[in-house]
Amino acid sequence: MDKEEILKEARKAIIDADKAKAEELAKRAIAEGVDPLEMINKGFRAGITEVGDLFGRGELFLPELILSAEAMKGAADILTAALPKGTKKRRGKIVIGTAQGDIHDIGKSMVVSFLQANGLEVYDLGRDIETQKFIDKAQEVNADIIGMSALLTTTMSGQKALIQELKKAGLREKYKVMVGGAPATQRWADRIGADAYGIDAADAAKKAMELLGEG
Amino acid sequence: MKRFHIRMGDGSATELSESELKRDLEEGTRDAAERAKIPPLSQNELAYLFDVYSSPARFVGVDRGNEVIFSYDNGSAKSREDITEIPLHRVQEAQVYEKFLGADIADFGHIDYSFKPVKSIVTFEQQALEYALLVTTVPMFYGSQPNLGSYTQPDGPCPNPMELLPQGKIAEARAAQEEMMEHAVKDMVYVVSAMYESGADGFNFDTAGAAGDADFLATLRAVEILRKKYPQMAMMVGIAGEFILGMHGELTYDGVRVAGLYPHKQLELVEKAGATIFGPAINTNTDKSGAWNVARAVTFVKPCVENSHIPVHANMGMGLSGIPMADCPPVDAVSRASKAMVEITRLDGL
Ligand code: B12
Repeated sequence: MDKEEILKEARKAIIDADKAKAEELAKRAIAEGVDPLEMINKGFRAGITEVGDLFGRGELFLPELILSAEAMKGAADILTAALPKGTKKRRGKIVIGTAQGDIHDIGKSMVVSFLQANGLEVYDLGRDIETQKFIDKAQEVNADIIGMSALLTTTMSGQKALIQELKKAGLREKYKVMVGGAPATQRWADRIGADAYGIDAADAAKKAMELLGEG
Repeated sequence: MKRFHIRMGDGSATELSESELKRDLEEGTRDAAERAKIPPLSQNELAYLFDVYSSPARFVGVDRGNEVIFSYDNGSAKSREDITEIPLHRVQEAQVYEKFLGADIADFGHIDYSFKPVKSIVTFEQQALEYALLVTTVPMFYGSQPNLGSYTQPDGPCPNPMELLPQGKIAEARAAQEEMMEHAVKDMVYVVSAMYESGADGFNFDTAGAAGDADFLATLRAVEILRKKYPQMAMMVGIAGEFILGMHGELTYDGVRVAGLYPHKQLELVEKAGATIFGPAINTNTDKSGAWNVARAVTFVKPCVENSHIPVHANMGMGLSGIPMADCPPVDAVSRASKAMVEITRLDGL
């Protein structure tokens, strides 16, 4: 198999949610000298992005999406382990939850699956979470990114508050902040000074990888 | 070059040129058509939308003769819940809806607005409803959300599928949803029966499908049971979003897979179950313009109206059907979305 073919197969294995196949392809890519990062980004991630898109159109459902995410996680684990020494970083860590006063967690849980699929270590705080708890958890686990979801125009202010609280505590530079949820937009993210905004779960994973310098 | 004042989906203002506005309208209708596999709007309809959006009027209204019914949801909690924060009693609020806001059907409900919490206080609700009925004239529906999520731990007895799924526990998540459905159907039948028997003119099942396909299916089953029990009862089923999210993925109603159904297909099942009003709800995309969102929403709703045997009342709440997702959706955007929805789809109510 040439590289293009392996990448194409990798994409397909994720869409088919075929974990065994995905892992086998990851091993084959390493054996054949394909760059592991390229294999993740252009092969497997292309697949999971398409899965996210199919879900967003109602053509594929959450259980299938989860199976695809698991297949991707398996493959991504094998590939990250094979990254050459020196370039191998520890896994990125993200603390995520839904803003205080907000119990919408469907979208946030999808984002969690996609982040895990991309090999991130995810600390999911759940829904209706006090702003301070995001910061406490990030401090506790030494996170790289804090992500906050908000589905209500009345709770999205929690995203702004998070950034203000981080500034007050002198921790703004320590963490990247990523926001999302239906009322949020790139304009909103810019206005409150967030580092990234994700329109859907695939975009959230892409932005997280960019924030970690692995995009 | 002339530029037109248009709202984005989050309510912020922008200006579009003639070609940008036309492009947004075309892309919006195409997006809906492709997703739901339905026809896009015709050139005439797009030209009509262009007129609505290029009008300099602060707000617009339907032409004389095109007026429609106004029904509401969660009506008796909006003044306190939303930006207005006027501490009205819910009975007064129902009166405000009837006497100031021109409601043709008023909606009465509990602030928790879900069947599960209402079940245990249903006798108080019966009394409150009776009083509201005595001081209003328009038909009064009692409303609640099926809200299957309220049956998950820690609020309810079932494990939470949204926690199980990311752990890959798919069979467990499906079993939990099936159990949630049983509780929900029981509660819906109980609460609706109680409220109907104490005088409600009808029932509003609001945001059906919010927790996905199980949520929608539970609602259909409850409606079916209630239809047999009360052949004359009015039942409005309002939907959560433009397609039924597949949280379970394998549930069927009358042989039709529920997950992934778009409004015109949702309608068929809602009708079959025995509801008397269908309320489609289309998501607003905050990153796109109002023109894009409304062209899209109208495209989804049009085939519902064409195929339906029951009245269709589109859900034009904030963040839905092209109404901006903003604390106080601007009147220019709300009135344009409403006019377009009514005059293109010829639906029965909003
Ligand atoms: C499901 C739902 C509920 C369920 C929630 C169940 C649950 N466990 O989540 C229930 C019934 C409980 C509910 C309750 C309420 N809801 Co509600 N709900 C919805 C609904 C129908 C769908 C939301 C959803 O899940 N979408 C699907 C997911 C997949 O999309 P998503 O959340 O946007 O997530 C994607 C992206 O945004 C992004 N993303 C999400 N989070 C993050 C985070 C990061 C960091 C990043 C990068 C990206 C990202 O990725 C996700 C995947 O692609 C919407 C209407 C609609 N159709 O949009 C209303 C809606 C959001 N609700 C609304 C309201 C008002 C409420 C209530 C106050 C009462 C009511 N009227 O229903 C209560 C609030 C309770 C509370 N305190 O939070 C309004 C909000 C309006 C506004 N101005 O804010 C809406 C728009 C409906 C309406 N007009 O009434 N709701």
